[in-house]
Amino acid sequence: MNRRIEKNRPKPAAPEPRGNFSLRAWREQHLYSLFSSLGRLAARPWATALTLAVLGFALALPLLFWLLLDNARGLAGNVGEAGAISAFLKPGTDVTAVQAFAARLRARADVAAVTVKTPEQGLDEFRERSGFADALKVLHYNPLPAVLIVDPRGDPGPLAAQLRADPAVDQVQYDAQWRQRLNAILVLALRGAQVLAGLLALAALLVIGNTVRQDIAGRSEEIAVMQLLGAEAGFVRRPFLYSGFWYGTFAGVLSLMLIGIVQVILAAPLARLTAAYDHAFAAHGLGIAQMLAVLAASAALGWLGAFLAASRHIVLGQPR
Amino acid sequence: MIAFDRVGKRYPNGFDALSELSFALDAGEMAFVTGHSGAGKSTLLRLVALLERPTRGQVTVNGRNLGAVRRRGIARVRRGVGMVFQDHRLLLDRSVFDNVALPLVIAGVPREEMAKRVRAALDKVGLLEREKSAPSMLSAGEQQRVGIARAIVAKPPVLIADEPTGNLDPQLAAEIMGLFGEFQQVGTTVLVASHDLPLVKRMGKRVLVLDHGRLIDDFQPRNTGP
Ligand SMILES: Nc1ncnc2c1ncn2[C@@H]1O[C@H](COP(=O)(O)OP(=O)(O)OP(=O)(O)O)[C@@H](O)[C@H]1O
Ligand SMILES: [Mg+2]
Repeated sequence: MNRRIEKNRPKPAAPEPRGNFSLRAWREQHLYSLFSSLGRLAARPWATALTLAVLGFALALPLLFWLLLDNARGLAGNVGEAGAISAFLKPGTDVTAVQAFAARLRARADVAAVTVKTPEQGLDEFRERSGFADALKVLHYNPLPAVLIVDPRGDPGPLAAQLRADPAVDQVQYDAQWRQRLNAILVLALRGAQVLAGLLALAALLVIGNTVRQDIAGRSEEIAVMQLLGAEAGFVRRPFLYSGFWYGTFAGVLSLMLIGIVQVILAAPLARLTAAYDHAFAAHGLGIAQMLAVLAASAALGWLGAFLAASRHIVLGQPR
Repeated sequence: MIAFDRVGKRYPNGFDALSELSFALDAGEMAFVTGHSGAGKSTLLRLVALLERPTRGQVTVNGRNLGAVRRRGIARVRRGVGMVFQDHRLLLDRSVFDNVALPLVIAGVPREEMAKRVRAALDKVGLLEREKSAPSMLSAGEQQRVGIARAIVAKPPVLIADEPTGNLDPQLAAEIMGLFGEFQQVGTTVLVASHDLPLVKRMGKRVLVLDHGRLIDDFQPRNTGP
């Protein structure tokens, strides 16, 4: 028996052969933590699934809201292009005067294009669209004025005001207010989405922190033994950080899946909506880069939550 | 290897568990600490492993003044001290192998080498065939031996044991004490706390006797060696 022990004689010259960790030891330890933490999650599948579901929803909600807004902005931008100024000229303005007025407008720097709609064109359009064709036959004269449709370049405000003041112009129709209101609503909603995302991220942080805290409490004996055996604080903490990392990552994947499901559900009505807008805009989901960003952010969130819990709750057995 | 210089330990509640305690253990020496219950045996060992700090005096272990060790250095000191506990403190949700491997995992020993060293340690305590068992499936004596294998697997220069034979029958107790004797023979400094004075005397090693936190005797029994 003694001979066997002989082989394991400690080297008195180097009492601390494990003092400075090699790169290999470091890697060994990280792999150990990575997989032991994964094993812990798998050991309690239901608790883990429940936690992940809560986290997944918490992350998916703000993402969905943001996606909705991003799409709405695209839609609004598109509608915004219909923000042309319509100037109805005084009835009876003759054709040459109308053309001259249009030419004057085209020369302006803040005008991109001018379309002239003669009273005849207006009447034709009206007949086609309104279905009042027969009724219109009764009229002996054309009551419609000539209309200039002006596409502004840059700020349309002054242009609209000048047109309104022009004696040749009867009426100006311009939907600036409507667009400003829509923009204001979108900006507000976007800010709301950011606040919501912040709050839900905080909730996710707390959920992960609390889960890790319970995990730590359930493993207090293991932690104490590891500390007795000379485990560094970082080593004791690491498996919990990895748990947090896994929670965050899986929750991120889950939230992306939830968003995917929502997209599938919304696909048909969305197609109808885009068709109604003559496919002038396309609804979009998350791009690859955005998905990766979501995963990275949720993993980081998980790590942070675990870090906060671990630094707060692993203090056992250490004299100052 | 272990030196106490006029060490005092007063617990936060004002109780003096140790006072004016001085002794030194050479490298490779083995000694027992004995005394009545509450004499301060556990406290003495806790100071060696830096589980507690002395309130007076100086403790030196492995040539390092523990008073100069900062919080961040505590883990390193503990890796140099193998510890055996009366209640063995094995992790019940892990196999015998994993329990013994823990100090090597903590030290970052590569896996292949780890397996070799764990088996060598288990072989030494005669439990090689039980490596896959759960600790709860083992007898008290076997559990204690697993605890010993864990304490020596990383080959620490110092080995301390607090009542390692506390609830074992006399024959098992003698066997366990014999194991400690073997570790001393390969150069490990061994300090064992026990109130089983007859057994301690039979071992023929140096004996430190504590009484109310004071060293009242320090002798080498004359009779049989191991
Ligand atoms: N954490 C503590 N706080 C306050 N007093 C303590 C603490 N730990 C131990 N003591 C006291 O210090 C004295 C010595 O305790 P210690 O555990 O060292 O005795 P012991 O010799 O190991 O006794 P036993 O043989 O019963 O294990 C005891 O009177 C005990 O009540
Ligand atoms: Mg004791």
